[in-house]
Amino acid sequence: MTFRRKLLAVFALTVFLSVATVGWLVSTLSRRAFELADDERTSALVTQFRHEFNRQGEEVSRRMEAIAASEPVARMGLAMNNRAPDSAAYFDAAKSTAENYQLDFLEFVDSQGTIISSAHWPAKFGYPEPAFASLSSMAEKGAFLKQEELQDNAALGLFAVRAIHVGEHPVYVIGGRRLDRDFLSALDLPAGMRVLLYLNHGDHSGSESLINPSRSAETPETNRPADQIASLIEAIRQNNQETTAIVHWSSDRADDELFHAIPLQGTSNASPKPLLGILLVGNSRRSYVELERRIRTTAFLVGGSGILLAILLSSWAAARVTRPVERLAGAAQEVAAGNWNARVEISGNDELAELAESFNHMTRELLTQKERLVQAERVAAWRELARRLAHELKNPLFPLQLTVENLVRARQQGSEQFEEIFRESSATLLAEISNLKTIISRFNEFSRMPRPQLQLVQMNDVIRGVLQLFQAQLESPGRGQISCDLQLDQRLEPIPADPELLHRAISNLVLNAMEAMPEGGRLSLRTRGNKDNICLEVSDTGAGLTAEECNRIFTPYYTSKEHGTGLGLAIVQSVVSDHGGTIRVHSEPGQGTTFVIELPRNPDTLQDGSEKNQAETISSIAAE
Amino acid sequence: MKLFAWQPLVISSLVLAVLAVAETRPQYGGTLRVSIREAPTSLDPADSREADLLARHNLTLLIFDTLTDIDDAGNVRAALATSWQAAPGNQRWQFRLRRNVKFQDGMLLTPATVASCLRTANPSWRVLPDADSIVIERDAPAPNLPAELTLPRNAIAKRNRDGTITGTGPFHIADWQPGKKLTLAAEENCWRGRPFLDIVEIEMGRNFRDQLVGLELGRTGLVEVTAEQAHRISAQGARLTSSAPIELIALLFVHDSHSPEEKLLRDALAVCVDRASIRSVLLQGTGEPAASILPNWMSGYGFVFPTQPDLQQARRDREQVHTIPVWTVGYDANDSIARLLVERIALNARDVGLSLQPSTSRSTDLRLVRLSIVSTDPWIGLANVATVANLPIGDAGGNSVQDLYRAEQALLATQRLIPLFHLPATYASAKFLRDWSVGADGSWRLADAWLTSEKTNGDKR
Repeated sequence: MTFRRKLLAVFALTVFLSVATVGWLVSTLSRRAFELADDERTSALVTQFRHEFNRQGEEVSRRMEAIAASEPVARMGLAMNNRAPDSAAYFDAAKSTAENYQLDFLEFVDSQGTIISSAHWPAKFGYPEPAFASLSSMAEKGAFLKQEELQDNAALGLFAVRAIHVGEHPVYVIGGRRLDRDFLSALDLPAGMRVLLYLNHGDHSGSESLINPSRSAETPETNRPADQIASLIEAIRQNNQETTAIVHWSSDRADDELFHAIPLQGTSNASPKPLLGILLVGNSRRSYVELERRIRTTAFLVGGSGILLAILLSSWAAARVTRPVERLAGAAQEVAAGNWNARVEISGNDELAELAESFNHMTRELLTQKERLVQAERVAAWRELARRLAHELKNPLFPLQLTVENLVRARQQGSEQFEEIFRESSATLLAEISNLKTIISRFNEFSRMPRPQLQLVQMNDVIRGVLQLFQAQLESPGRGQISCDLQLDQRLEPIPADPELLHRAISNLVLNAMEAMPEGGRLSLRTRGNKDNICLEVSDTGAGLTAEECNRIFTPYYTSKEHGTGLGLAIVQSVVSDHGGTIRVHSEPGQGTTFVIELPRNPDTLQDGSEKNQAETISSIAAE
Repeated sequence: MKLFAWQPLVISSLVLAVLAVAETRPQYGGTLRVSIREAPTSLDPADSREADLLARHNLTLLIFDTLTDIDDAGNVRAALATSWQAAPGNQRWQFRLRRNVKFQDGMLLTPATVASCLRTANPSWRVLPDADSIVIERDAPAPNLPAELTLPRNAIAKRNRDGTITGTGPFHIADWQPGKKLTLAAEENCWRGRPFLDIVEIEMGRNFRDQLVGLELGRTGLVEVTAEQAHRISAQGARLTSSAPIELIALLFVHDSHSPEEKLLRDALAVCVDRASIRSVLLQGTGEPAASILPNWMSGYGFVFPTQPDLQQARRDREQVHTIPVWTVGYDANDSIARLLVERIALNARDVGLSLQPSTSRSTDLRLVRLSIVSTDPWIGLANVATVANLPIGDAGGNSVQDLYRAEQALLATQRLIPLFHLPATYASAKFLRDWSVGADGSWRLADAWLTSEKTNGDKR
């Protein structure tokens, strides 16, 4: 990972963590605030329901007072105190009275607890009122909850009881209003809140009913509580205490509702009091969830935008910070590639500017040193060349000088042997001049190395051809015996190369090895191949080379031999380079010498390398 | 001074006396408006689409006559037939027709017309005209044929080619709006004599409350009254006239009982109903609790059938059955008392563990029905109930009370019918309607009724 990317990641991570932390804090705080608001709203609604309940109870009590005080009811009470009371005349009195006073339930009950008239179940005349014992004690008291049995089901109502005392036998008026859809609909609920009423009819699931005022009366519904609420209802039925729970209606959290369940208990003296119903105050969590989602979405947007902005700013900042470093790195890579003229632009006045200045100073110093070194090497090369030339030319020139002096002396003396001397001297002069021409042609030949003419060449065949050429010299009795160890990889495939140049290069190496073993030894030639290259090793068991000699051995005109021109290995290197290959030497004094040549299999590489190396060679020669 | 003092007193007393006599002496004229709840759409006596309801019975006998008539004691009397005679075996009857009786269009009543009319009403009968009589031949012994001829469907009607219909009754049709209104005008040449009333307007399809409102406002002179209304109206001083208990309120099972368990449950239902309480409260003391089809006044053995609830027996019957079905009980939503009756019966049934579900649907397991007995003849009444209730009525096999009892027992043994109450037909009449009466079978006696001069003059104005 680059320095710029690391810097960018650090910046982005920092911003992301900051935004996430802020978002989490906002979400947590808003959730707590909403939960608090939910609790307050639910508490307010429960209080409102209780207030409405009390108000309705007072209204029921007032109406019951009015009924008890009405003249028809007084007459009925009077009739019931007759010696032979006839209740049949009043069997429908409750219905009309209930209609007049807008009551859902109304019963006239005699002092024995027998129903005289019932508005909500007219057919029940003559039957005993089941709860008469407890109801009679509720006379003149406030309203209370009571479950009233109807013909098909049971209903929960807000009841009051009044007694009519017009004689020895009182008549009781038991009436009330139904806790039903209308009652719940009358509650003034805040938006998002609703009230459900569950009527508890015992364990018979078939008689369960849930009154939901938000549903239309015409809408067919089973009145069975949904499974989500059923568990809450069951919990209330078990412990008979107020409970709050969240009901999940669907996988969407926005549909969740917070229900506050209030058990509605009867007035029985039994302990615990019977559970008549459960008021379920529902508070939709949609607004909260939607706001939370909005906050989260906003946080994501802000966070995303922040991160994006941070990335942009970080990129800019990182680029600003790393650009000088990158320039330095680029310049260093150029230097490594050989461009010692690489310079870094200096901007600013900071540490990086100082570093760039130091780098530029370093490259300048390096370039200066290099130029000095090149000049020194060039001088050394020229000196070596001059020495070689002097040495090479001195040897033929000295005989030439002696021969010419002998010839001049013979001519001055008029010697009779002048003719013989002249012939011998002429022959000597011609031989030495030929020798000089040979020296010059070798130098000329090195300077005019031909470009390789590529064709598919089997390396092993070239090696065998070279050895066949030198076979006679290797077995010459005039010198030490040299054995030849040939280890050729038979799986080598032909490579594109110039066979003549290869032959010449290998011949030079073999000749060099032979010269290195004047007392005899072992000459080894090994070939092997891999996917990209083939490799040739030429080893001898001669005296070996020093490290200094190894470093300079491919330098033109450098030689460690007394009569060498210093061009043999230079030619070998030139040929190998022209084929896109490399040559290296492994040697230690007394351990022999091994030359390793690697040539590429790939023609493209060969072509490029060849051209490059040819260009380098040409450049080098031109420079020389 | 003394002469002048007592002379006006004498004169005014004479005037008042004359007026008083005038108010008690029948007088012709006036229009009587009657309201009924039923709404028949046809006046043809032989139209089998119309049920043999009391209203139809009364309308028919205002326009048409039957060969025989029946009095309140159940005795068959002469009407268009002056005498009759049965051949041995009671399968062949000869009825001698009254002479010089004319239809309301002036045509003479002939045996051929009568025979044609009876054949139309009773396709299975062989009716042959004779010189001054007709001969009716039945496939089976028909000892009650004279009483059967009193039924409205056997009224003698002359069907004209223009679709109109005429009879020999005291009124002829002046205007007929099927199901809505019937206007009858007095028949001047009625063989029984002209009725006192000029016009009788009968409004149909009026509910009981509207009828009472019309009566109280003086718009209507005669209205029907339900059993539960009777007590209150009577207490308010209205003039009520009732027939003998002539209508049967009963529970009618739609299907026969298919299993012993169901028979036990039907038995339990029959004995669990507290008829006395219902009569006392819902029916306001009107009618009689009934466990028999025929009322006691008609059969004479009605008391044999116990009407008191036997809850223990009902529970024993019910406990022998493991699975208790929920029976739906249908009732007429237009019947003001039917719902209360059904709810009370359901309450009684619940006390013994039976489950009844009141419903106004037409498709129910059983229904609360009102069955008109129509005739004061017990055999005719029993047959009519069986026909209306679609119960199998077997061969009479005799004409004695024992035969009647066996026939009724056979009907009850089907367990299709649970009798509950016998109710009279009750009418409330305005004070200006005089000499109006109701027969034991609920038939109107309008032929002798007349309106006071106050009402008559008021109509003229």
